[in-house]
Amino acid sequence: MSPDSDLDEGVRRDQEGGAPGFGIPAAVLAAAEAALNRYIALDPEGALGFEPIYGRIIAIEVEGIGARITLIPGPDRLQIFGAYDATPDCLIRGTPLGLARMAAARRKESELGSGSVEIEGDTAIAQDLGKALGGLDVDWEEQLARLLGDPVAHQLGEGVRAAVQWGRRTTGTLGADLKEYLEEEGRLLPSRYELDAFLADVDTLRDDVERLEARVGRLARAADRPSAAHTPKTKGRGKKSGKDAARHGGEDAGPGGA
Amino acid sequence: MSEKETTHFGYQQVPVDEKVGRVRQVFDSVASRYDLMNDLMSLGVHRIWKRQTVALAGVRRGQQVLDLASGTGDLAERFAGIVGADGAVVMSDINAAMLTQGRDRLIDKGRVGNLHFALANAEQLPFASGSFDCVTIGFGLRNVTHKERALTEMQRVLRPGGRALILEFSHPTTRALSRVYDLYSFSVLPNLGRLIAKDAESYQYLAESIRMHPDQETLRAMMEEAGFERCDYFNLSGGIVAIHRGYKL
Repeated sequence: MSPDSDLDEGVRRDQEGGAPGFGIPAAVLAAAEAALNRYIALDPEGALGFEPIYGRIIAIEVEGIGARITLIPGPDRLQIFGAYDATPDCLIRGTPLGLARMAAARRKESELGSGSVEIEGDTAIAQDLGKALGGLDVDWEEQLARLLGDPVAHQLGEGVRAAVQWGRRTTGTLGADLKEYLEEEGRLLPSRYELDAFLADVDTLRDDVERLEARVGRLARAADRPSAAHTPKTKGRGKKSGKDAARHGGEDAGPGGA
Repeated sequence: MSEKETTHFGYQQVPVDEKVGRVRQVFDSVASRYDLMNDLMSLGVHRIWKRQTVALAGVRRGQQVLDLASGTGDLAERFAGIVGADGAVVMSDINAAMLTQGRDRLIDKGRVGNLHFALANAEQLPFASGSFDCVTIGFGLRNVTHKERALTEMQRVLRPGGRALILEFSHPTTRALSRVYDLYSFSVLPNLGRLIAKDAESYQYLAESIRMHPDQETLRAMMEEAGFERCDYFNLSGGIVAIHRGYKL
């Protein structure tokens, strides 16, 4: 028998009629289902998170490529299909990037708010699914203990934890050393203080330029209106600071400030 | 002229009332290694064919499902996970050895609560009319003596709006595939049967019975005859297997 697992014309025709055109090969879905269920089985307590959505049909549609997968959680396993021939209880639709961002985001609402992901139907189901998937926390040491026994697994676990801590510490130290070298020894990068001072100077310069621009503008307008040049009232009081001149800009008639 | 009515049993003609017994013998013989043989025979693809059947059935939470010729219960197990505690799945087979195998396997896996078991002949179903939202029969219809009676019964026990799905070996759609398939069925398959299930004859029968089974269009016509509507079929693996679907409206 042929191991050809793809859907043939009949099912493809059906998909075109009902769901979008691109069908993920059934063998890939079967493999994904097996892998995901093996992962869920590693955290039996976390798996209970799926309980509120047992038997719910959750469709995820990837815009652009038009692929659809359907998830149906159950007490025995999470079933994954391509197009499932029933109206989903909850349809999550989004661009590949939007869906990936939502999967990774801590606050899923923000992705929904941005409009890159849409949810149709019962949104509580999507929330429960996200919570259940996010709540899976596999105790690898415990899994290892089943294979190697508690003492060995514990030692390995300690080893891994020490290695992770060492890695974190080393990364921190390395970062600080590199920073110091680049700033102080090599003078390749400015230090924090130099940078702050430089940024403050840039701000001052920008303000000065704006003030100068305003003053030049005012003078130019004054030059265009020779009739207004002999207004004696403003003379004498017109000694305004550059800042005030900038604030009043063009409204300040007369050459007083000049 | 008192010739008895005969029917086919593989390529042989046998008296009608003998077929049930003979099919039983075949399945009694293969029951204990049925799963392993299925995997070997189809190179594991039978699991994918069953997945497609479940996807096309579109069963929902709370529905009632009848799985005929359930065998070791692959379809029933998936349905039970979907219909949940509010729904029910009846696993049925005419063969006690097969049904016991299936029941033991599912109980051992902890699949209990919404699964029920019925030793029943698909030609005379012991259920009230309009009891199920979905009726399926996976790799079983070709072993039924009077297929049209089984189809009529499937239609009877469905509720209006319910659907029946028939997953069965069918006829390859291309000649090249057909040749390879014949070679496989009549040379490789009986030898596999001899090696694994220690029973070449049963697997010879399986290969023959597949050839005697009606092709896609004929089966669709039979479904319409039995009262199903909106009948269609889906070829899988180049027509080696087909899923027929019909609704009771």
